[in-house]
Formats: sequence, structure tokens, C-alpha cells
Amino acid sequence: MAQRAWKPWLFLAPALIIYLIVIFVPSIYTFYLSFFNWNGVSPQKTFVGLSNYIQLLTKDNVFQLALKNNLLWTIASLVFIMGFGFALALLLNRKLKGRVAFRGIFYFPFLLSGIVVATGWSWMYNPTNGFVNKLLASIGLESWTHAWLAEPKTALPAVFIAALWQGVGQPMVLFLAGLQTIPADPYEAAIIDGAKSHQRFRYITLPLLRETFVIVFATTMIGSMKVYDIIYGMTGGGPAESTQVLSSWMYYQTFKFANIGTGSAISFFLVMVTMVVIIPYVFYTTKKSHV
Amino acid sequence: MDGQRLHPAANAVRYLFLIVIAAAFLIPVVFVAFTALKSRPELATSRFYAFPKDIQWGNFQKAWELGHLGMYTQNTLFICLVKVPLGIFVEAFAAFALTRMVFKRSNAMFAFFLVGMMIPMQATLVPLNIFLNKTHLVSTYPGIFLVYIGFGIPFGILILRGFFRTIPKEIDEAALIDGCGELGTFFRIILPLSMPAIATLVIFDFMATWNEFLLAQIFITKDAMKTITTGLMSFRGEHATDYTLMNAGVLISILPSLLVYLLFQKYFVSGLAGSVKG
Repeated sequence: MAQRAWKPWLFLAPALIIYLIVIFVPSIYTFYLSFFNWNGVSPQKTFVGLSNYIQLLTKDNVFQLALKNNLLWTIASLVFIMGFGFALALLLNRKLKGRVAFRGIFYFPFLLSGIVVATGWSWMYNPTNGFVNKLLASIGLESWTHAWLAEPKTALPAVFIAALWQGVGQPMVLFLAGLQTIPADPYEAAIIDGAKSHQRFRYITLPLLRETFVIVFATTMIGSMKVYDIIYGMTGGGPAESTQVLSSWMYYQTFKFANIGTGSAISFFLVMVTMVVIIPYVFYTTKKSHV
Repeated sequence: MDGQRLHPAANAVRYLFLIVIAAAFLIPVVFVAFTALKSRPELATSRFYAFPKDIQWGNFQKAWELGHLGMYTQNTLFICLVKVPLGIFVEAFAAFALTRMVFKRSNAMFAFFLVGMMIPMQATLVPLNIFLNKTHLVSTYPGIFLVYIGFGIPFGILILRGFFRTIPKEIDEAALIDGCGELGTFFRIILPLSMPAIATLVIFDFMATWNEFLLAQIFITKDAMKTITTGLMSFRGEHATDYTLMNAGVLISILPSLLVYLLFQKYFVSGLAGSVKG
């Protein structure tokens, strides 16, 4: 095709320019800012080298707590959200009456914003009028009631339950799609060979779902590293910073305390942690697609 | 699907499980709805699981007007209606260049756009804030569209490029012979053929824009421009103890999502899986 060399760039230009302005250049500038002390207003930025990073890792207790919370959150998501999603997919992977309705009920919360979920669930956890405490009291478990979101011990698990409610539909739908790509023949052959149902599950279903597991694993990991809305909306990182995660602590450091350098270092920390997950994932998927 | 037919008893157990879990999933929504429909005195005296006796539709009106949820809904809808089509045009142009036009670095360019999916939004906020402040675009619609469109670009290009690649090249050649230029091919052939992918993208982009919180929180500082998510947060601040009103607000913000889901269900359950596989 005869075509002038600049023409493709004309078509690319709008996307490329916006992408450079909004994502690419800012993220590089953030990296640069993470080596400075700056309050965001003063014309003076002081170069401090790696000291923002060192400070975070050695002195900032909240950062360390946030990091720990992020890790706990990620592990809990992989075990409970992925596991529960898989279980629901297996339950629904049949011809069932009401299958579409069940699927809709489990999936729908995923389409809501974290803020709406956070607001609704804050009401569920309300210490005096909320559903959870009212239910406990009405079945005689008054001693079990808590100010769920206001006690450091219960706050993070309570927020996680809300996140589980919201998030389980995503892996469920992905697993269902994966299950539906498995043909019937291997199962029929296995039945003829006398394989028990748990054996069919172990030796047919699981191996054939490997790719779906990789996708769900990667998206769940990345999602848990970035978790923000639901935590901000339910506890704002409190009580006593006990539910801070990297994203929320970055927000406070940058936009509330005006420690731009520290905030930038946290967000770059987030970039690095995310890369650790994404790079192997990208390698895995591109390798797959070339086979 | 596992080949063996299920024993009726096993099937019953399966149903029992599903019904119990589904009921548990519905509890928060029902509890929010019951609260939203009660009057404040009734909320204080009635049982927590009791159906509202005297349904207070007025709560919705109050939340809509006094709580400004109407304004927030309109603002968000406006952003969606401009951002989604504009963003998709920008992404489609780029995807067109990446798939239909021969140039050396097209794969490298695609990879460059994909890098954007790996960068957490947080890592861009400070420089973006400086930029928008310097250009006086903070809390203006052009600034909002710029930022919102920017973050949609990597995913949009991923989806559209994936779909454009499936359209045979012969079609372009035929169009060229018939005297279609690149723009003609783009508008008259590629876009109409890509409607399934574009429809999926519209729905996902709409939901993502509707639910966006972090960008709105930082770049929309004027109350009159707040979106439904940031608006709901300030609504909570103002009516912290008026639970009936607050839950009416939650219900109002759930409804559009429910509507979109019910109308476009098939895109959510099939389109999503396809798009993740890219």
C-alpha cells in the first residue's frame, strides 16, 4: 500500500499525546520527585537522594503497617475471593433453573463503585443500628458485638468482608468462562475409564483451567495492591491508622500532609511491587500466544 | 461441563447452597433498601429486619434535592456522555494506525501504550496536579476529560487493537480500490464492523467512569462539579446521622449500575472474559 510515513502518526497522535501528558511523563516525574523533599508549594525542592525510601522502610511505622496490610489483603484476596469465586463457578457450572439470576446476584456488586459499597457496608456495621450487631444481639450473642470499623482489631477484616462481597463475582465469571471452554469428551472418556468425580476434577478440570487461574491470580494480585476506594470510604485508614494501605497512605502523605517526596516514594514503591507481579504475567501470556 | 448427570439429591444440595449464599449476598442491599424506605422514628423503633410500614418515598426526593445527589448524578452522566465516545474515538484512531497502517514501530508503540496499564494511578497524581494547576484546568471539564480519557487509553487500545486485527486486510484493499482513503476506511468500514467490540468497550468504560473515585477526589475540587462517588462522600459528611437519607442516597447511586447491568448482561459475562484474554 502506498502510504506516506507520517500518516500513521497522525492517527496515533491524539492518543499518544494524551497518554504522554496524563500517564507517561507524570510517572517519570513522580520518580524524580521521590528523591526530593518538597511541600508542593515552595519553589525550593531539596535533593535528598534515597532518604525518602530509607525513611519509609526504617522509620515510618504507618508505611510498614500499610505494607503489611497490603500483603495481608493480597493473601486474603487470593485465598478467599479467588477461592470463593471458584467455588461459586463450580456450583453454577450446570444447567440449573435460575442460573442467570444467581450469577447476576453474585456478580452485580462488582459493578458498584467502592464508595457505594463502602457506604452501604458502613451502615451494615453501624455499632447501634447496623445489621451485624442487631443480628448478633437478636440471637443472644450480645457479647460478640463490636464497633466493627472503629476498633483496630476488627476494622481491616470487616472492610475485607465488604470487599469480598463486592469482588467475588469477578473471578466467578472468569472461572465460569474458563469452565465452559472445557469440552465434554475428556470427562466422558474418564467416566468410561472409571474415574471418580474428584479424580476427574483433579486431573481434567484443574489442569485445563490453568490459564484462567493465571489470569485470575494476576488480576487479583494487582487489584489488591491498588486497593483504595473501599478502605478510604469505610475507615479512611483508621482507627489509629490500623487500616492504612499503600494507596491510602500515599494519599495522606501527598495531599493531606504535603510531603510530596514521601508520597512519590510510596507511589513508586507501589509501581515496583506491581511490576513484580505484572512482568512475569506478561511474559507468561505472550509466550502462550506465540505457541 | 462434567459429563455425568447429577443425582437429584446432589442437585437439591446444590440448590440449597446457592439459595443460602444468594440470600446472604442480598442482605446488604435489602437492609439498605429497608432503611432508605423508613422514616427516622420508624427506624428507631422498628425491628431491623422489618419491612417498612409507612414507605417514605420522600427520602429519595430529599437525598436527590437537599443532598444534591441529583446534581452529582447529572455531573457524572455528563462526564460519561462526553468522555466515553471521545475516548473511544481517540483509542480507535490509534488502534487503526496500529493494525491497518504499515509502519516500522507499530508493535513497539503498542507495547508502549500497554505500559500504561501497569502504572498505578497514584504514581501520576502529583505531576498531573501541578500540570492542571499551571494550565488552570483543575476543576474544569476539559481538564477532567483529559485525565479521564488518558487513563482509559491503554485498555481501550488493547481491546480495539485486538478486535481490529480480526478484520481481514482484503477489506481495506477493496476499499482502497473503490477510492476510499484511510479516513473513509476507518469511518465507513472498520468502525461499523467493530460494533461488538465498541459496544463492550462503551459499557465497560461507562461503568469505570461512573465509578471513578480517586481522580474525581483530587481533580474536581468544586462542589458543584462533584461526581456521584465524591458527592456521596460529602453527602455522608453532611448527613452523617440521617441514616434513612444516607441509604436512600446509596440506593440512588446503585440504580444506574443495576439498569446498565440488566440491559447489557451478556456483555458483562462474556465480553469481560474475552477482553482479559486480549
